[in-house]
Amino acid sequence: MAQVGERVGGRNMPAPADTGLARLAPRDLWERYRTLVLTIASLLIGLVAWHLTSTFLVNPFLIPPPLVVFQTAAQMLMSGEILPDVAISMQRVLIGFASGSLAAIILGVLLGRVRLLHELFDPVIELMRYLSPTAMIPIAVIWFGIGEMSKYFLIFWGTFFIVLVNTVAGVWRAPIGRQRAAECLGASPLQIFTLVVIPSAVPYIVTGMRIAMASSFMSIIPAEILAADSGIGYLLQKSSMLLQTNRIFVALMTICILGFLTDRVFRILVDRTLKRFMAFVAQS
Amino acid sequence: MLQVKNVRKVYQSAQVDYVALENINLEVADGELVCLLGPSGCGKSTLLNILAGFERASGGSVSSDGVAIRKAGRERVMLFQDAGSALFPWLTVEENVRFGLRVRKVAKARWEAIIERTLAMVDLDRHRDKFPSQLSGGMRQRLQIARALAVEPAVLLMDEPFAALDALTRRRMHGVLLDIWRRTGKTIVFVTHDIAEAITLADRIAIMSVGPRAVITRVIALQLPRPRDLADPKVAAIFNQIEALLAPDLARSEERAAH
Repeated sequence: MAQVGERVGGRNMPAPADTGLARLAPRDLWERYRTLVLTIASLLIGLVAWHLTSTFLVNPFLIPPPLVVFQTAAQMLMSGEILPDVAISMQRVLIGFASGSLAAIILGVLLGRVRLLHELFDPVIELMRYLSPTAMIPIAVIWFGIGEMSKYFLIFWGTFFIVLVNTVAGVWRAPIGRQRAAECLGASPLQIFTLVVIPSAVPYIVTGMRIAMASSFMSIIPAEILAADSGIGYLLQKSSMLLQTNRIFVALMTICILGFLTDRVFRILVDRTLKRFMAFVAQS
Repeated sequence: MLQVKNVRKVYQSAQVDYVALENINLEVADGELVCLLGPSGCGKSTLLNILAGFERASGGSVSSDGVAIRKAGRERVMLFQDAGSALFPWLTVEENVRFGLRVRKVAKARWEAIIERTLAMVDLDRHRDKFPSQLSGGMRQRLQIARALAVEPAVLLMDEPFAALDALTRRRMHGVLLDIWRRTGKTIVFVTHDIAEAITLADRIAIMSVGPRAVITRVIALQLPRPRDLADPKVAAIFNQIEALLAPDLARSEERAAH
């Protein structure tokens, strides 16, 4: 499992600070800013392609041009009408994600450690994990109505299996040599479990949570389209009924940005709190 | 003293039982450095795991100072080939050493002195705050040694600890190990498939045949002063003797690995 790390700056670090940028060779300048430049270029190309498509290729009503969408976004932000939808969707995602992760980690740690439990639960899990949150919407509405509980449940459902499978794998793959080393050093079975096995599983658990976070952002939309009267998904649904494609595009962009920002925040939090557990030591 | 008497190890499976070890006898005196030498697949690691208490013998007995070995014991610490996975990558060098002191409930007041002394012994005292991922392969093995020494075991069980290191680093590690052995008087059982390594280190070399039914075919006592130079005719003669002994088994070991 490779960690996706940002390449900050280039391979050749610039000369001492006082020389200034002007003194850097063009090559060094490029190496230093290539990530930034290419990111901006990528976004610009996307925007231009979008603009050209909506202007020359298709009816701008079907794909509103970027400027129109940005104007609409500005209006919706200024009037504040989009904020409650963003807030409620974020709340649903976070509550469902947090509770789903917590439950999955607790059960996953047990299943990863107790073979009998794993053998008992695994067949059921292997079947149930194919039920996407979307598949569970109809029954969730009957069980919980269209209130908040049904959305928490659906996000919980989507998060739970992803984090569970990863947690089990992480606990299972705690290197046997590391456990035996701890045993030799005098650790009790409980200490081996808490001080060695669980820390060894952290990178797997975190990876599972990141994937689950992304999937939560995908699951919340159908849930809100079909069973809600608030949230980004509801905004999408309402705009579709009124044929307001510009507002649909604003809602879609909001999902992209929220997902991206949440993942960033998650990674920063992991980096602040769990960094030391994320290191993999390759074979010496 | 470690005693291995008539040890037999059988791995049972649905179709057929595999007899890995048959009738193994070995005694290792206190303070002795014994190498278990044999081609891969001869069961030398299995024997070491039985000595450590990680696996149980199917027959015969193993004991440490007369007490039967049933599980990992305080007086025996194992060092692994893959230091990267044996160390705790989320703990610094210093914290790795401290782990054993903590779980063995050594008085806190003594921790600092022990950590200082053991890290100095393996020349890692300047790297206390680094993480294992920031160390070279040789440094990781030295950290494994320091971590083991900190809990003051009588016996070090070493499972090809230097096999993955480059040749120069390995030679340096031999020097480090012999120096520590001389200073601490530990009993060491060292598993290797490298004849030169066995000759460099051992008081006695126990040569094992290839399984199934691996046995110790020969125990060779080396009464040569250290450091031992392979170019020395006396040393070279022993090397050749062992190589000739291993030759038929090496071919069999390769055959076995092939299917």
